[in-house]
Amino acid sequence: MIAARLLLSILMMLAAAHAGRAIAQSGGAVKPMSETALIASPEDLKDKRIAVLLGSAQASEATKRWPGATVLQFGSPTDMVLAIKTGKADAALSDGQPLKDILRQDPSLAILPQPLHRIPVGVGFNKENPALLTAFNAFLASIKRDGTYADMIDRWIEKGVYAMPELGPQPSGQVLTVGVSDGGMPFGGVVNNRWVGFDIEMAQRFANSQGKSLKIVSLEFGSLIAALVTGKVDLIAASIFITDERKQRINFSDPYFEETTVLLALRTRLAGQALKEGPKAGSGNWLARIKSSVRDNLLTENRYLLIWDGLKTTVLISILATALGTVLGALTCWMRMSKRGLLRLPAIGFISLLRGIPVLVLLLILYYVVFASVDINPVLVSVIAFALNFAAYSAEIFRAGIQGLDRGQAEAGIAMGFGRLRTFWYITLPQTIQRVLPVYKGEFISLVKMTSIVGYIAVQDLTKASDIIRSRTFDAFFPLLLAAALYFLIAWALLQAINLLERRTDPHWRRQRGRTA
Amino acid sequence: MIRIEHLSKRYGDVTVLADVSAEIRSGEVVSIIGPSGTGKSTLLRCLNGLETPSGGSIHVDGIDLLDPRSDIDQVRRTMNMVFQSFNLFSHLSVIDNLTLGPIKLKGLSRAQAQARARELLDLVGLSQKADHLPDELSGGQKQRVAIARCLAMDPKIILFDEPTSALDPTMVSEVLAVIRKLARDGMTMAIVTHEMAFARDVSNRVFYMDEGRIYEQGSPQEIFEQPKLEKTRAFVNRIRSLTRRIDTPGYDLYSLNAEIEAFCARQILPQSLRDRLLPLVEESLQICRPQLDRAPVDLTVAYSEKTGDLELIVERAAEAGNLMENPSVPDDLSVRLIRHYAQSVQYSEAAGRGRLVFRIDTHGAP
Repeated sequence: MIAARLLLSILMMLAAAHAGRAIAQSGGAVKPMSETALIASPEDLKDKRIAVLLGSAQASEATKRWPGATVLQFGSPTDMVLAIKTGKADAALSDGQPLKDILRQDPSLAILPQPLHRIPVGVGFNKENPALLTAFNAFLASIKRDGTYADMIDRWIEKGVYAMPELGPQPSGQVLTVGVSDGGMPFGGVVNNRWVGFDIEMAQRFANSQGKSLKIVSLEFGSLIAALVTGKVDLIAASIFITDERKQRINFSDPYFEETTVLLALRTRLAGQALKEGPKAGSGNWLARIKSSVRDNLLTENRYLLIWDGLKTTVLISILATALGTVLGALTCWMRMSKRGLLRLPAIGFISLLRGIPVLVLLLILYYVVFASVDINPVLVSVIAFALNFAAYSAEIFRAGIQGLDRGQAEAGIAMGFGRLRTFWYITLPQTIQRVLPVYKGEFISLVKMTSIVGYIAVQDLTKASDIIRSRTFDAFFPLLLAAALYFLIAWALLQAINLLERRTDPHWRRQRGRTA
Repeated sequence: MIRIEHLSKRYGDVTVLADVSAEIRSGEVVSIIGPSGTGKSTLLRCLNGLETPSGGSIHVDGIDLLDPRSDIDQVRRTMNMVFQSFNLFSHLSVIDNLTLGPIKLKGLSRAQAQARARELLDLVGLSQKADHLPDELSGGQKQRVAIARCLAMDPKIILFDEPTSALDPTMVSEVLAVIRKLARDGMTMAIVTHEMAFARDVSNRVFYMDEGRIYEQGSPQEIFEQPKLEKTRAFVNRIRSLTRRIDTPGYDLYSLNAEIEAFCARQILPQSLRDRLLPLVEESLQICRPQLDRAPVDLTVAYSEKTGDLELIVERAAEAGNLMENPSVPDDLSVRLIRHYAQSVQYSEAAGRGRLVFRIDTHGAP
């Protein structure tokens, strides 16, 4: 039962991912934005396009309250805000606190003065671990008593100081895994390549009080509950509204804050909002704009470190998955070409199964189902998922390469007394490599690009890094183009390595070089 | 050196080798000839273990090849093979093709193997091509490299499987010249070939294979000049024939004539010959017609591509007697016509069969 519901939620996440990370829930044609119809109250949303966060309380509320509206679910608050700015949605329903920053930075956006409602937020716990919940409630009561809580509210929420206080050395005890989501300041986000925020400080203090070392796992908001239920994380802290719907799946701590839901839209689309003149983001000549983009997206808060770490992760996953996938592919190919059904049939099954499953689904199944109860590094899960996928394709590439070879040469090797194994090693293999490399290269390039989905299981790769930067700068253009350029460079650089191998196995090239040398 | 006893090979219901027994002695050059599909190549491939025989035994220098305990790879290193399609290693240069085996299998150093390889390339006249790749060579050059590759392993015997069949006619002689040279130097060889003149010159012994066995064997003179058996004779003289059994007086002469016409057209026989052959067939059937119910005849038209001889052979049970002496028809018109059309008529009896051979002069005018 739990597995079925889990699978359902995974599928919904996938659907969201494939529709450009947004799904229109109530269907219908996309309505043109009418400039005249200003939004004066929540009721005006009834025929509009509403942006919400996937899996948020606002998402289920919007669907129920405005059946005639088009509800667009986005994976992160950033995408939501960008959808408003680019006119892809008319209004967004969002948590109030994270918008404070955005509204300060961007005068083109505004909110309705009156919040839609206030809902208490809490930390989520697995229903099978009531002891941890009890410990947390005791911890929460104690920081409220000793003034720590009031201090935290003052710093993070009232004053907007986005820095973690000195909390002393990390205890080296058992690991406490906390699922967070880049919902934005003041609750959680990345500053100077570190997770900070009210939720983060609270989690850190709780871990310290328990004598445990804290491990932060960054997830899409919509995946938090699934990760908690499957035991991937011990608790989830991401300013989560305490709703009855969610209480059926998980336990909540005592409320630690009361969060508002507000309606966000372009200032020009809201009734009664005078146009404020403010510093325009896009002012100045293009050189100055690029300079400010580089500054905002890379230099401020050392954001280039995020990109650099993401780049390393992407390259690591690509190389390891290719290496492991090639070995597995060779093994599968050998089994597939065996005369014995006991070897051949499983190989055929493996190949058709793996080629028939989108690698994202495979990745999620491995993470949330196969390795559900195992504490495994998500990078390793990614390597395994892509290696399996790569193996299925490369096995068939190898098979085509071997079968296309001239049988006679292997026969000549056997007739000379090389035996089967050495004939394969000295004669069949070199020729196969030479033949399959062009196709293999193509498969490798698509693997590198496919790794951009590992963010779904909390791996911070290049794409995820650019997502995190976007969540802080609300600039779609620069981080995405930078990610595109970096993927292109990674693929190009790794391809050069394979090209070198290709040339080395090409007898004509070797001969040419021998002549000139 | 190689002893083959009662070797057989079947693929499902098809018997390729029925029962082959033979011996190849050291220093001998044995040519294996015969029509296509009679198991010549299969025999050779069985000797090298590329095919597993269905029965019988093969001993090479006393080692039983079919015994699973024998190290067949060790035997193969002394018994190398040259293929119809060359089978050079396409990813290696000519010299590397020659040195791969000696280095990896015989433990020679690279320098030793290369020195020996250059000697061998010299022997086959290709020392200039050492650094070329196989696909840069002509067919004849490839086959000479393949022979040199065999020699690089210092084999005791080389098996040639139709070494010139895939070659352009202009390149056949360069390959045969190399094999001739090896024969002069005393290399033991077994050669499956369709080059009759070559087989005759180069071999000590000739196996004629047919019906999945060694049908006749002997010295080249015996096989090519005095073959004992009819099939051997037909093959070495490249005789093309058409045989039909006539067993009723109501035979269909027109359809028989049409078949013979078609046969003549295939052999590109001149019209004048057909004009003599067809009446000869008609008259010879005429004289035996009343007896056809009791004594059916086998009628064969045979043409030798080698000698240009055209023969009509009428064969029936010997007890029915010689038709030309006792025709079964009262008037002798047919007999006289036959004598007019045929250059010579011979009658012989063997194994209870009486055989009349009418020869038609293909050289002079009628």
